[in-house]
Amino acid sequence: MADKQQQVVVKRARHKSSVKDPGTPGVLKLTKDRFTFMPNDPSSPVKHNVEFRTIKGHKFTKDGTKQALLNLTQDQGGNYIFEFENFPDRNVCKDFVASAIALSGEAGRTVPEKSAVPIQDEQLSAAEMERRIKLLQEDSDLQKLHKQFVIGGILSEAEFWATRKKLLEQNYSRRPKQRVALKNDMWSTKPLADGQSNRVTFNLTPEIILQIFAEKPAVRQAYLNFVPNKMTEKEFWTKYSRAEYLHSTKNVIAAAAEAAEDEELAVFLKQDDMLVNEARKKIRQVDPTLDMEADEGDDYMHLPDHGLPRNDNKDVLDSQYEPYRRSFSQHLNQHAAVVLQGRVIDVELGDTRSVAEALARTKHAELAKDASDVYLDKERLERISRMTEIEDLQAPRDPAVAPLSIKDPRDYFDSQQANAFSTLGDTVSGAKQLKCSVSTREAYCSLKECISEIKFQGLTEPTINSEVAFKVLNGLAQNISSNKYHLGRNPNESVLDSLPKITREELLLHWSSIQELLKHFWSSYPITTKYLLTKATKLKDAMSQIYPKLQEIKESVQSDLRHQVSLLVQPMLQALDAAFAHYDADVQNRSARSGERPNGF
Amino acid sequence: MKFQIEDVTVYFPYDNIYPEQYAYMVELKRALDAKGHCLLEMPTGTGKTIALLSLITSYALSKPSNPIKFIYCTRTVHEMEKTLSELKLLHNYQLQHLGPAAKILALGLSSRKNLCINPTVVSAENRDSVDAACRKLTASWVRELAAENPRIPTCSFFENYEKSASEAILPPGVYTLQDLRAYGKLKGWCPYFLARHMVQLANVVVYSYQYLLDPKVAGIISKEMQRESVVVFDEAHNIDNVCIEALSVSVRMQTLEGATRNINRMSQEIDRFKATDAGRLRAEYNRLVEGLALRGDLPASDAWLANPALPNDILKEAVPGNIRRAEHFLSVLRRLVQYIRGRLQTENVEKEGPVAFVASVNTQAGIDQKMLRFCYDRLHSLMLTLEISDTDEFLHIQTICDFATLVGTYTRGFSIIIEPFDERMPHIPDPVLQLCCHDASLAIKPVFERFQSVVITSGTLSPIDLYPRLLNFNPVVSRSFTMSLTRDCICPMVLTRGSDQLPVSTKYDLRSDPGVEKNYGKLLLEMVSVVPDGIVCFFVSYSYMDGIVNSWHETGLLKEIMQHKLVFIETQDVVETTLALDNYRKACDCGRGAVFFSVARGKVAEGIDFDRHYGRLVIMFGVPFQYTLSRILLARLEYLRDTFQIKEGDFLTFDALRQAAQCVGRVIRSKADYGMMIFADKRYSRHDKRSKLPGWILSHLRDAHLNLSTDMAAHIAREGIKEEGSQMIIKVAVLDLSIACDST
Repeated sequence: MADKQQQVVVKRARHKSSVKDPGTPGVLKLTKDRFTFMPNDPSSPVKHNVEFRTIKGHKFTKDGTKQALLNLTQDQGGNYIFEFENFPDRNVCKDFVASAIALSGEAGRTVPEKSAVPIQDEQLSAAEMERRIKLLQEDSDLQKLHKQFVIGGILSEAEFWATRKKLLEQNYSRRPKQRVALKNDMWSTKPLADGQSNRVTFNLTPEIILQIFAEKPAVRQAYLNFVPNKMTEKEFWTKYSRAEYLHSTKNVIAAAAEAAEDEELAVFLKQDDMLVNEARKKIRQVDPTLDMEADEGDDYMHLPDHGLPRNDNKDVLDSQYEPYRRSFSQHLNQHAAVVLQGRVIDVELGDTRSVAEALARTKHAELAKDASDVYLDKERLERISRMTEIEDLQAPRDPAVAPLSIKDPRDYFDSQQANAFSTLGDTVSGAKQLKCSVSTREAYCSLKECISEIKFQGLTEPTINSEVAFKVLNGLAQNISSNKYHLGRNPNESVLDSLPKITREELLLHWSSIQELLKHFWSSYPITTKYLLTKATKLKDAMSQIYPKLQEIKESVQSDLRHQVSLLVQPMLQALDAAFAHYDADVQNRSARSGERPNGF
Repeated sequence: MKFQIEDVTVYFPYDNIYPEQYAYMVELKRALDAKGHCLLEMPTGTGKTIALLSLITSYALSKPSNPIKFIYCTRTVHEMEKTLSELKLLHNYQLQHLGPAAKILALGLSSRKNLCINPTVVSAENRDSVDAACRKLTASWVRELAAENPRIPTCSFFENYEKSASEAILPPGVYTLQDLRAYGKLKGWCPYFLARHMVQLANVVVYSYQYLLDPKVAGIISKEMQRESVVVFDEAHNIDNVCIEALSVSVRMQTLEGATRNINRMSQEIDRFKATDAGRLRAEYNRLVEGLALRGDLPASDAWLANPALPNDILKEAVPGNIRRAEHFLSVLRRLVQYIRGRLQTENVEKEGPVAFVASVNTQAGIDQKMLRFCYDRLHSLMLTLEISDTDEFLHIQTICDFATLVGTYTRGFSIIIEPFDERMPHIPDPVLQLCCHDASLAIKPVFERFQSVVITSGTLSPIDLYPRLLNFNPVVSRSFTMSLTRDCICPMVLTRGSDQLPVSTKYDLRSDPGVEKNYGKLLLEMVSVVPDGIVCFFVSYSYMDGIVNSWHETGLLKEIMQHKLVFIETQDVVETTLALDNYRKACDCGRGAVFFSVARGKVAEGIDFDRHYGRLVIMFGVPFQYTLSRILLARLEYLRDTFQIKEGDFLTFDALRQAAQCVGRVIRSKADYGMMIFADKRYSRHDKRSKLPGWILSHLRDAHLNLSTDMAAHIAREGIKEEGSQMIIKVAVLDLSIACDST
């Protein structure tokens, strides 16, 4: 959790002069403007105290590789390599360094040619950095591109990401819904006892606190009431932990006794009244076909003492202890409900109070809304009537289709290639993407149209030979399913996959890099600044390097595959040609014009 | 669709019909023609309810000259809602095809708690307090007072309803409880009293079993139903239990203490009336001398629960002289409470018949059988005289009087069992006196006698010949239907061994074995990682479920399970369970997937469907036998053996297996559905147990699936799910094609 307020990071690390070097163990301390390294052995000569201003960049090993390395490169060419004990440590430092470099970079640069470099080095927040890194980690293709162009110097970091703003944002905005749900992990109240002394320790992290607040509104309320007026935060959690411990011992009577002495403790020990009230409100919203509470109303046999006693509920306890009983099942249900609801608040986790307040607010709003929702009622009724129908006796009404959303670009590429083969069209794939999210209704309409067309034609046609019809149907069905098969991930039969592995990899790589380059290339037109001009030139050079490689591939494959490969390569080449033509035309135009206007633009 | 069965045109709201639905209707029609009772077993998932509704309403429509009334009994309120919404569908269809001639009035009836719309009343916590709160506003004496003193609160909905008098009727249509409330709000009438009134006029009434079977309720709600009625008990596999429970009472120490308080309160009231309005008590005395236990024409709002004894057995003679005077009656009650208290002091388990008990009451407390029999009516009369409206406070004394009346009325089919403590917790004294009924035929007898056709139907009535014996009636039609299938939509399996090949069972000696608990946990863990959407687990009892879930929690198994799916659990608190179910459905709807832990014989097992994605797999952990050391069960078994020659073992197995079948049957509701069932106990592989399962499960149980271990079951599940998924592919492919067409 990289906290913005965090001013100093101290971690154990080894300094290495090279990757192979075993390194000197010591402590790495990072502050806003410099980092220092103090070896454990004070006599050791390896000591560093370097300002971030002089650091140009940082590299690091991937999570999960052999070593957790961080490499800081200096302006003058020197570098500092640190090895950390684990990846989390490294990542904390890495994030910190990234933001520190960005910060000092901006502060350090006196007056750069601002007009020429419009988006050279934006200041990156740690969160932004994290997001980018995460994206790269998740998507190996993206990572390859990033390596090829950004590290290869063709595009700047900012340029690379500028075209992916949407990806970043989308990823970010989707976050509360999908990415980080609450962990479905009950905070086990199992305390850590060390066996020797009578001390019992509980571990509380902000995540756990959020969970406690969400699952136990009474604790949340108590927190808001007591802290900091009545007790400090620490006292509060100590008390809470004590209550949890009492529960974990399952000694109801002891819990009751303690609660009698300490009224604040009693808040934690008693049953959660707020939950009970909430439940009573919620029960009115429940689908009546599920509502078992309503049965109680009709159940005259289980009047107190009527009917036969159920065999189970024999947990006899004095009524005075009743409020202190708490069952695990209750906790389980509440937990699952909270997890299902997901992360409802969007607050930094560190600040306990604001978390509590935000939760209280959302809860309040939710309950207020519930009370008067006629719309919900209607929806519920509709749902019931839909549920009561026996679906397979009924002619289908609304088709249950969900809009397609293709996530993995490779899948998409595969399918597009297959389409290209079948239609022999040379569509450049971009245009199609839009069409993939067809609404339910549209899809249905089109299907209906097809069917009605067939119906119509079938009527005008003289009767078809049933054998022929059967054959056609059979063929169709097979075709559909085999096509489906192709579009899926079967590794052996896809068009691309019939190619040798190396060729395929290469093709895919080139395809994606061409896509990337073209995107940047076209986006730099019309050229208005010198910066854009150099960029376009750089891009053109890069593209012209790929061009011969494509030709090479085309020629290198076996003759039986050549046709297919050339079909694959053709659109790429065409696109490149178009780009080159445009570039040449533009250059000519420019040189013609530059004669008229000697000062450039 | 519309078709003929002999002389009846049947209107069926779907385009297609299953063959077994048709066969079911034909049999049903024969029974109706013969004006006799019938017993029909048809698997779940074949649209039994709609077939029933469709045939009976069509039958009624085809005979307009002699309309029959249709009384449909469900076990639970949510089933009532489901039935009514199916009926709505059907009714709309009939209206479309027949026009206004098809108009019927159909409504559900429930207690005040579910129908009341007065916000101050309905906010009360439970049913009894809602009833009492209503009575405080609507009792005749309260309204009389309010007429003079406008400051006394009354219920405006009830007043409006009363004012409209004969105009207050429901127009034809199908009314669910919610519709009734909405209509009540619209008109400003009390939906509860409106519904109770309309029940007499309606063509179709849907309500709970107890409104017919429990004499306390039936006596006030159902006593005026016409003979030309068809009564249907749906999901009736447990009907014998409902019948015996309707006539059983138990008394604990708390009951006695409460009853003593009630008696004291009544005696204070009597003193107060003596001082202020002695005429009232004298009037009551005179009425009792004339032989009327109750005033004949009680306003509906004053009616309390009726006499617990069956209508035929209630004495139609005058209340005996020695309890006519209020204070004498109270002293009789005091002596009775004292006597029972004395009996509860016992250190040993005692069991005796009603006759012996009554004799002992007579000698020790000086209360004879006739006085006992009149206890309930006398109490009712006294409470009316004393104008007590907070009836919820008087449940204890009511229990005592119920007990007295029942024990004074019946001499056979009952026994009285006194247990000083629970068998399983001998150190905690918890004395209880139970009057338990063993003969299910007693409570249902009046129903068979009163109505021309009674239909008993369920998905699991195997063995079908047992029910007529248990309920003591002669069905004109008794048939069991099988499911016609185009594909295997259920996949039952029997799991006998865990992943370590050791047997799994909930048998007494293996029950708390940690190895078995672990194996069960591992089984679930395998399944949650394989099966999509919802999984339902049934355990044999609450205590077993609590124990095993706790142990899974401690060993970390639960945590692993939670990594795949959310976990919800049934608790004894219905509100919580309902909310948990609601969340479970949400989790299945949104694709998160969830597991629901539930208890066989519990409320969820009785009435909640886990169809479609709400239940792709159900696991029955163990065989849900009843607690065999229970004295009540032993007494019942003895009675069954002596009167019906049913062997103890047979009955226990029958009972356990019908529960198990009921549990697993929850996963399938139509043939488009798909569900797997795992019976996880080695005892299911034995032929004598397994053969008691209903035919529609047995016919799908392959020999290869009879003796599985966890890994084999997981494999089968994986394959099954895959196969099921592939059946959907054609549909998806066609849709894909249309999208492709559209985009090019």
